Amino acid sequence: MSAAEAAAAPARRALPGAPLAGVAGLLVVWEALARLPGAEVLLAGPMAVALWLGENGALMARALAVTGAEAAAGFALGNLAAVALALCAVAWPRAERLIAALALLVFCLPLVATGPILRVLYGPGPGPQVTLAALAVYYTTFVPLLVGLRAAPAAWFDVVASYGRGRWAEILHVRLFAAAPYLVAGLQIAAPAAFLGAMVGEFTGAERGMGVLTIRALRALDVEATWALATVAALVSIAVYAAIGAAGRRLLREPPPVLLAPPGAGGGARPGAALGQAALAGGVALALWWGAMEAFGLNAFFAKRPGDVWAFLVTDPGAAAHRAELFGALADTLALAVPGYLAGLAAGAALAVALTLAPGAAAVAMPVAVALRAVPIVTTAPLVVLLMGRGAAGTIALVAVMIFFPVFVAALHGLARAPGQVLDVFESYAAGPLRRLVHAQLPAMLPAFFAAARMSLPAAILAVTVVEWLATGRGVGALMAISASLSDYAMLWSAVVVVALATVAGHALVAAAEARVLARYAGEQRR
Amino acid sequence: MRNGRTHLTRRGALALTGGAAAAGMLGAGARAATPATLQLSWLHSVQFAGSYIAQARGYWAEDGLDVTLAPGGPNAPVEPPVVSGRALVGVSAADYTAAAVAQGAPFRIIGVAMQKNPFAVASLPENPVERPQDLPGKRIGMALANMPVLEALCTLNGVDIDRIEIVPTQYSAAPLLAGEVDCLLCWATDLPVAMAVQGVESVTMLMADHGYALQSQTYIATDESLRTRRAELVGLMRGETRGWAAYRADLDAAVATTLEMHPDANLDPRAQRMQAERQVPLMFSELTEARGFGWFSAATVEETIETLAVLGHDVSPDLWDRSILEEVHAG
Repeated sequence: MSAAEAAAAPARRALPGAPLAGVAGLLVVWEALARLPGAEVLLAGPMAVALWLGENGALMARALAVTGAEAAAGFALGNLAAVALALCAVAWPRAERLIAALALLVFCLPLVATGPILRVLYGPGPGPQVTLAALAVYYTTFVPLLVGLRAAPAAWFDVVASYGRGRWAEILHVRLFAAAPYLVAGLQIAAPAAFLGAMVGEFTGAERGMGVLTIRALRALDVEATWALATVAALVSIAVYAAIGAAGRRLLREPPPVLLAPPGAGGGARPGAALGQAALAGGVALALWWGAMEAFGLNAFFAKRPGDVWAFLVTDPGAAAHRAELFGALADTLALAVPGYLAGLAAGAALAVALTLAPGAAAVAMPVAVALRAVPIVTTAPLVVLLMGRGAAGTIALVAVMIFFPVFVAALHGLARAPGQVLDVFESYAAGPLRRLVHAQLPAMLPAFFAAARMSLPAAILAVTVVEWLATGRGVGALMAISASLSDYAMLWSAVVVVALATVAGHALVAAAEARVLARYAGEQRR
Repeated sequence: MRNGRTHLTRRGALALTGGAAAAGMLGAGARAATPATLQLSWLHSVQFAGSYIAQARGYWAEDGLDVTLAPGGPNAPVEPPVVSGRALVGVSAADYTAAAVAQGAPFRIIGVAMQKNPFAVASLPENPVERPQDLPGKRIGMALANMPVLEALCTLNGVDIDRIEIVPTQYSAAPLLAGEVDCLLCWATDLPVAMAVQGVESVTMLMADHGYALQSQTYIATDESLRTRRAELVGLMRGETRGWAAYRADLDAAVATTLEMHPDANLDPRAQRMQAERQVPLMFSELTEARGFGWFSAATVEETIETLAVLGHDVSPDLWDRSILEEVHAG
């Protein structure tokens, strides 16, 4: 059962008109907001948007074809890469940590900085758009897939072993089937991310597309066009989300099996070994960084090598000033990213739990949740910042919106992974929904929740830096944008390194919490 | 006199066209058009209409060039493609060029499209900013990246910047219209035009009228290109010169060409026409009337160097190289 099914199944039990009522309610609230005094320079209502689309349908269709193709290519490439990486990690368990660490590191590279570099590498054309879309999705598929590839009952592996078959047979016949529901969840989360990646990719200098039109509309005060673009982007993301969910429901009819081992927890590695692994990953990353630049013959004016960053931050006469500027900006950024991240985690899990307890609400909540995430942050950032002020609240709210959706989908999906047999036990003892939630569904949710928490961390950094770059002009996001415009590439690369390392460190913190919590709940699952 | 000069230039250009076309025909069998990329500093719009005219009317083709116009964007690199050789020429601005050179980029400024800097402070008539002295006590919305610009304006006019409330905003007129700020730091040719198209009158204080003398939309090329790809540089700048002369002569045609070449850009014809008109006094001056499009003199270079010094960039006149323009305007 997929995440979408978890939401849709109860909806079917509710009133038949409930989804329509949800959408209608959303439209009414939206129109009302747009009619508030002062909103006319920031928000266009559904009527104005429909009118604009009616007049400019051909233009929008052409832009959608361009951006849609970029997003689709990035979606396909990114998810294929995720599947390949996850399979490699499972096939060669010794390499798993290294693969996971490098995959994380690449995902943590801030796109404010990678965009222009990709543009220089590719030259004119869709290269940066496709690459940024792929980079935006591969990790959110890789992480749940890795969990899913392990989420098979030990008995299934015993069957494979009893036939004398090896690891690849195990992957082909057991793990891929076990992973399929997790893959569906990953692909669903990927849909809006790919679209956003393609749109931001167009900011690096594209001839046409919805990202290009968005920049123009924002600058031209064309509120109708701005929100028409956001609406189309959201509708496409919602359609893809629903289509993947529907495909998942058709393909995956097996009820979830009982797992007698905690998935994803992994053996507790000794601290020494973990440090060794980290050092190895760091070394490989540095070698790749340096090697790629040399291989492509990238000019040292903008393609700074590891040694340049080291000099800029450590050995230069001005290194102390550079560090002060960079870490000051980073501190500003983290002060917004951390509360936004935590709020997003809490909101995502809370809504998933609420929908499990009151399934009828799903019809209203699901469209709102998907729409919130699917409307590109590029469009919403100025609006939310204006509504909530240029202080901390606006940025924190935007980060929470970005985090909320993947966590919500993953948590919903995890709640649905509570095995039928276990739920039957609760049923037979006439236990209430709350008991069932606390003792069966929440523990089942935790692996997926933590996977989402880990992979959302880079999304939080992405959200903050994009808001800082486009709306508030503070923090490390603005610093990166200014450095790029002033050709201060040593600062830009240093910011990339420091942001990526900070994200990886945050990831390690979450992973440590995850290991503790899952270890405690593993006992329950073994009961 | 203006018309006479334009006419002369056009006739000169026509004569030149004939010569170049003949030369092109003679050489056509021997070589295909040489590819060259011009990296623009922003998205396609009438801001680069002269280049579109050069493209559409085949001015570059006549010089044996196959020019690609690479659009810019909010996250698009301009200087790196020129350094890496992917673009032959980039459209930068004197301050960005100076910063890049300080970071080791081997650039020369080979032409100046905007003789007057387009930066302005835009405000609403009921609470106008007409002089820098009006700024204290006001809330100004701007990208923090432009702080040096505001600082320079204040230094040049003896205004205490601490008495201005700086609100970091996205680059849009929305914060001004929403009452979040009293004025905006922007280009005179974009956000005020956007407001005018929406029916909002605004007051525009051009910073160039208050001591901010900084050449903008400067053409940059590397030392190496200046040594090894001179013919292409001359051809590219000749096309620009002819394109901008045609622009000057007929703004309507320039707008039409811009719209025709970019049907997917959602360009508003009224806004483009207005922008085209507001660009004219920034791009064409007595100096360009006398010496030709893109020209710079020792005096205008010196003014820009002084403003750059206020901005914190220390450059020498060696940053400018007029040899390409001299060849273009001699021929």
